[in-house]
Amino acid sequence: MVDQQSALLAIFMMAAIVYLTRLTGYFIGLQLRHIQGIKPVLEALPGCAFMAILAPAVRQGSPGEIAAMACVVLIMWRSNNVVVATGTGLAVLLFGGPWLDSVIA
Amino acid sequence: MTTAQSAWLGIRLSGDYFISTFIFGVMFGITASAVGLQQWQALLMSLTSFTASGQFAALEFWQAPIPYATIALSVFLVSTRNLLLGMAMTHHFDGHSLRRRIAWLFLLNDPGVVTSFRVDDEVDRLGYVTGYGVSMMVSWLTSTLIGLNAAHLFANFDLGQVSFAGPLVLATMMMLFFKNTKTPPLPWLVSGAAALLLFELGAPDYLILLLSVGAGVVIAIYQERRRG
Repeated sequence: MVDQQSALLAIFMMAAIVYLTRLTGYFIGLQLRHIQGIKPVLEALPGCAFMAILAPAVRQGSPGEIAAMACVVLIMWRSNNVVVATGTGLAVLLFGGPWLDSVIA
Repeated sequence: MTTAQSAWLGIRLSGDYFISTFIFGVMFGITASAVGLQQWQALLMSLTSFTASGQFAALEFWQAPIPYATIALSVFLVSTRNLLLGMAMTHHFDGHSLRRRIAWLFLLNDPGVVTSFRVDDEVDRLGYVTGYGVSMMVSWLTSTLIGLNAAHLFANFDLGQVSFAGPLVLATMMMLFFKNTKTPPLPWLVSGAAALLLFELGAPDYLILLLSVGAGVVIAIYQERRRG
């Protein structure tokens, strides 16, 4: 059982780290903004980060997880509907995932 | 459009991710209860950190004595994308005092930033992202509370499969990027390919993120030079 003081310290440490990452990126950007043509480069960054996280996650995903990801991508491509895409992906994960994993394994 | 109107627009357009965040929040509340966090501790964590991925990462190591360095490093690593989100917003938060920008950056959030690129130029981006963030915060806190109180119902339920929900939500945001980009999405594709390659080579997570984003940036600079 974690004591109250340690828990509080950990919680505020986490908050400080997360907030500093939000602030630091913005202020680094302010330092770079005078560089000509930097705007589209900075705006490409979040997409690059998402892909850097997504590609390995899919690569090591189980058949059920890959199927769920395929559903999400397909629904987003066709409809742009985040709720339907996420809901379908989660349903595939929860209900189809174990079955797919057992069949393909 | 005024800042207040833009904030209201952010709140109104946040419905889709309000629901996604809600699902995550319930899961966080259940997990937090399972690892022994008291209600007020879990709620304080959600209120002050406001980061699903970082909070889930911390719960992995939540035991006595608390491994502060491990938690700090894992929270930092999963939050590094905030650096990039902040940088992406550099040109869009002008016209506000520095104090306001510093305070409101607390509510910087992925879907708010991603969807802000799709709204009209007249929308005040800081107001929009902050409004979006307020909505996400309401969803995150409410759902955490519900998850904490519903945890006993899921005591024997395996939630392992749902851990992949994070990448699914990121994929929805990536698709919004792909469908609304005015430039060829080559930097993102190169980042993805580089991440795969580095993963196959057994590189640690932080190196995968750093180098693959770096590869994407090089391509983005090349694209910009060719265009200019």
